[in-house]
Amino acid sequence: MDPALDSGVPGGQELLRFATAIIGYDRIELDAARRDVAKAIGPAAVTAASAVAANFTKNDRIANGCGIPSEPMMLKATKDIRADLGLNEFRSAVNTFKHFPEFW
Amino acid sequence: MTLYADSNFPVPKDLEAIHAKQLNQLAKPGSWGTGAQRLAIAAEARQAGIDAGMLEEPADKGTAPDITLPEVVCKVVHKLAVSPKDFLEDSYLEAKNGGLSNEEYIEIVGIVARTTNMDVFARGIGVSLQPLPAACAGEPSRIRPQAAIQEKAWVPTVPNSPDGGSDADTIYGGMHYTYIVRGLSLVPDELRMHVELEETQYLPLNKIMNPEYSHHEGFSRAHTEIVAARVSALNECFF
Repeated sequence: MDPALDSGVPGGQELLRFATAIIGYDRIELDAARRDVAKAIGPAAVTAASAVAANFTKNDRIANGCGIPSEPMMLKATKDIRADLGLNEFRSAVNTFKHFPEFW
Repeated sequence: MTLYADSNFPVPKDLEAIHAKQLNQLAKPGSWGTGAQRLAIAAEARQAGIDAGMLEEPADKGTAPDITLPEVVCKVVHKLAVSPKDFLEDSYLEAKNGGLSNEEYIEIVGIVARTTNMDVFARGIGVSLQPLPAACAGEPSRIRPQAAIQEKAWVPTVPNSPDGGSDADTIYGGMHYTYIVRGLSLVPDELRMHVELEETQYLPLNKIMNPEYSHHEGFSRAHTEIVAARVSALNECFF
């Protein structure tokens, strides 16, 4: 998730920049990021990336607004990557760990 | 209704049709709010994003309902629209203590989330935010699923089958869902709208466990997950 890291996916850097800009405050940066995605992956990728980013702006508000926990199956499968990426430090993580402290 | 005719990027017809339908649906009486109240919530969420610099003001805002939202509603809308990572249980409890029922609260969460979704999409493809429609008359249905109980979310939810009984069968259609779907189940219409957007913009729910499935042509699952993970990380969404 660190934009400085190489995901190894063609167009990945451009998508990380776009995903950051679409929910950011800098319209000029968004315009530049949009152009780069179109150039790297194609014009339809701008629509797809916008659709996915928009969908997750929805999901994040639903998850944090409803105070839902992650399911144990998911927690079990993601223990290492959560620790590596610092996800357990998100403030909304409390909604999960108050029910499933054993998965910290 | 053609929403995205001025886009420089191709927008699939099904996505455009669902956004048009959902914009109009915001103007109709919901489960707990009138059409005017629901549109006022959507307008408030949008204005909060504009004021924060996260959205650009459209030339045509559409029809603003002539009603004033209670302060308790505005607080929920503003924080959730602009800073979801700061939305913690105290924000929910403040809303409850301020007089909102769980049912009203969930409808507000759904409207803010869907409005933000459509506005961020428009911003992403570089078109103006869509004008909001005029409110439709009528009263809310006030339908509450009887099976909704307190599970592990802040708000009551309808359990999966068999515990959720006929409500679960109706709302979930025989599927077993995680909390990201069931979170809105206290207001089934909001859940349906959320799933409809999910299946159009992300991927069909029955394909989530298939890493080879690509929903958007020319856009791999890896591309999809890079965008999803980055957005959720910036919003500090643990889920």
